[in-house]
Amino acid sequence: MSTEATNAPKIKLVTSDNAEMEVDRQVAERSILIKNLLEDLGGDNDEAIPIPNVNEAVMKKVLEWCEHHRNDPPASQDDDSDSRKKSTDIDEWDQKFMQVDQEMLFEIILAANYLDIKALLDVGCKTVANMIKGKSPDEIRKTFNIQNDFTPEEEEQIRRENEWAEDR
Amino acid sequence: MARSRRQNRDESRSRSDTSASTSPERGYDDDKDSIMLQSNDSLSSLAPSVSPDSDDDARRRAIEEQNRVSPVSRLPAELMIAVFARLASPADLKNCMLVSKDWSRNAVGLLWHRPSTNKWPSVKSVIKTINTADSFFDYSSLIKRLNLSALGSEVSDGTLASLHTCKRIERLTLTNCTKLSDLSLVAVLEDNRSLLALDVTSVESISDQTMYALAKNAVRLQGLNITNCKKITDQSLEAVAKSCKHLKRLKLNGCSQLSDKCIIAFALHCRYILEIDLHDCKNLEDDSITTLITEGPHLRELRLAHCWKITDQAFLRLPAEASYESLRILDLTDCGELQDYGVQRIVAAAPRLRNLVLAKCRHITDRAVMAITRLGKNLHYIHLGHCSRITDTGVVQLVKLCNRIRYIDLACCTNLTDVSVTQLASLPKLKRIGLVKCAAITDRSILALAKPKQMGSSGPIQASVLERVHLSYCTNLTLQGIHALLNNCPRLTHLSLTGVQAFLRDDLLVYCREAPPEFNEHQRDVFCVFSGVGVQRLRQFLNTDHDHQNRQASFSDNEGTMYEDGEEPDVILNVTAQANGMVIDEDEDFGDSEMLGQD
Repeated sequence: MSTEATNAPKIKLVTSDNAEMEVDRQVAERSILIKNLLEDLGGDNDEAIPIPNVNEAVMKKVLEWCEHHRNDPPASQDDDSDSRKKSTDIDEWDQKFMQVDQEMLFEIILAANYLDIKALLDVGCKTVANMIKGKSPDEIRKTFNIQNDFTPEEEEQIRRENEWAEDR
Repeated sequence: MARSRRQNRDESRSRSDTSASTSPERGYDDDKDSIMLQSNDSLSSLAPSVSPDSDDDARRRAIEEQNRVSPVSRLPAELMIAVFARLASPADLKNCMLVSKDWSRNAVGLLWHRPSTNKWPSVKSVIKTINTADSFFDYSSLIKRLNLSALGSEVSDGTLASLHTCKRIERLTLTNCTKLSDLSLVAVLEDNRSLLALDVTSVESISDQTMYALAKNAVRLQGLNITNCKKITDQSLEAVAKSCKHLKRLKLNGCSQLSDKCIIAFALHCRYILEIDLHDCKNLEDDSITTLITEGPHLRELRLAHCWKITDQAFLRLPAEASYESLRILDLTDCGELQDYGVQRIVAAAPRLRNLVLAKCRHITDRAVMAITRLGKNLHYIHLGHCSRITDTGVVQLVKLCNRIRYIDLACCTNLTDVSVTQLASLPKLKRIGLVKCAAITDRSILALAKPKQMGSSGPIQASVLERVHLSYCTNLTLQGIHALLNNCPRLTHLSLTGVQAFLRDDLLVYCREAPPEFNEHQRDVFCVFSGVGVQRLRQFLNTDHDHQNRQASFSDNEGTMYEDGEEPDVILNVTAQANGMVIDEDEDFGDSEMLGQD
């Protein structure tokens, strides 16, 4: 991969905290947003592309993922229906990649959504889903540090109205 | 997604509420709620950090604090919903609903999209909630899919009628709910403009009333399955055809009361029809079939099994130069009047046919088979069972020109010999082969099937990919050939040898599966089908049983049977399984497994 990388065309990105980053065009184009931007600009363009919604730390992480997945087949038309599939299997490298603190985890998800990187968004959502699976409401609140804003009566009402929802 | 009229009430309620928590975050919880609500509507991918009221510094700081304490709250509603969509278990979704108001709003739509209705207690609970006057959410408007088929005849009109407030149901599946009548069907269809698919298979008492209600309301309907609903007449279906112009999939199986009239109406008004199954619509004549093909530019699948009145004319009347490129699947099982000319014409007019079923079209000869060879690589699935006039000449040519065939059935083609099977064995993708009652074939055929294949002229040698092999009543076969087949076909999962003397031995039959309950004693005596682990065990046994040669002739004679082969039920099951599928989404792959898109 390294020989390929040295010859590959590069582009520049500027993050929200004004950091300039140089990256292989092929890697950056895992982001449909960036891909479309580059196509709109057309031809060889040295201008740095501003990414005003992602900071340097998060961008580094996202590009690390893009680098690892640089040769994945491009997302097909059916990907939308694919991502609706309720599977929470994540490949091993991605699992390790997602072992970050919650702040970073949700920043990656937001960035993947903004940059339109479907496969990364998918891995992020699955990771969060896996943190929810099998937990009681209280355990979920603890995991994500969420305040319970139901009255006991409301909580009981929801419990009652959704009584049917047990494991199939 | 989960925005309901209830939601606004919740908001006001939570603001005035003082009891829940005394924590210092309490105050901006509510603020955050209202902002999250805004972002519900937004297509922006941005977190609430870009607030619509950015002038309100205090509020912004509060959100920042909230995000710092609980990073998950940065995700806007659409991303929370994307996360919840990965949860398969309703129990997990219910637990999410109990976490906080925010979470409940984002989870409720997914949870109620398709409520569990496979057990009575669940259905009762769902109905109770739907009919609760002061419920937390407007649950009835969230139900998009309702399937009561698991409860079948236990479902009464009262049950279904109590769900009549669910006006946004998109898929309603009532297969085998035989107690239902027009009464509840009309109530549930009334004012529902969202319905995309209705399946009332075997709800036999429903009549034109239900169909008129469907025509009046279900303007978006794409799929309709009225299999075995014999009280429905041409008149009401013509009304459906006129108003449900988006119909794509139609199953009218067993509706022998219907005539060409309603089929022609569907052909003329519903220009997007992709699949139509008219299995056992015995009254249909050539006109309706010709019109379906000429008027349906998208028609992909046409099933006409047991439409006895169809003749060559149905296809000979197609315009001379027309080509129907969309047609991929054509089932003409038991269209007994059909002859070579009809087959020649339809194959020429539909050059991209992938599945062609001509079982029991007894008149057809090698001339039809020669015409079929024009399909070339497009042909994947061909059924010529009981076409007993065809010979080795036709089959050999078919294999040479259609080398992508994956499935072939030649049951009861009694003229065929080892010459055909040896040629068939060269098909690189062959997964399933049916040779029931091809009594002339010998172990030579089986050894050819077992032989590993060379890919291309100098390609690698690959093991056979055969999965299902049907050899019942191929009475010349012996252990030797089958043993080789077992050892050379690693993917083999089904092997039928009913009525083959060499296998009617107690030491082998222990690995055979149970005969179907409807079989009589004689059928049981000769039944011999190995499937799944049975195949593996038989293989294992033969590989360890060294002196099987000595015992081979130990079983007594039992003359050939007059009964149909033992695996006929298996074949029929397969066809019915396909017939029951009703799919809305466009799906390029229509293999055996295409089923109702129920996740």
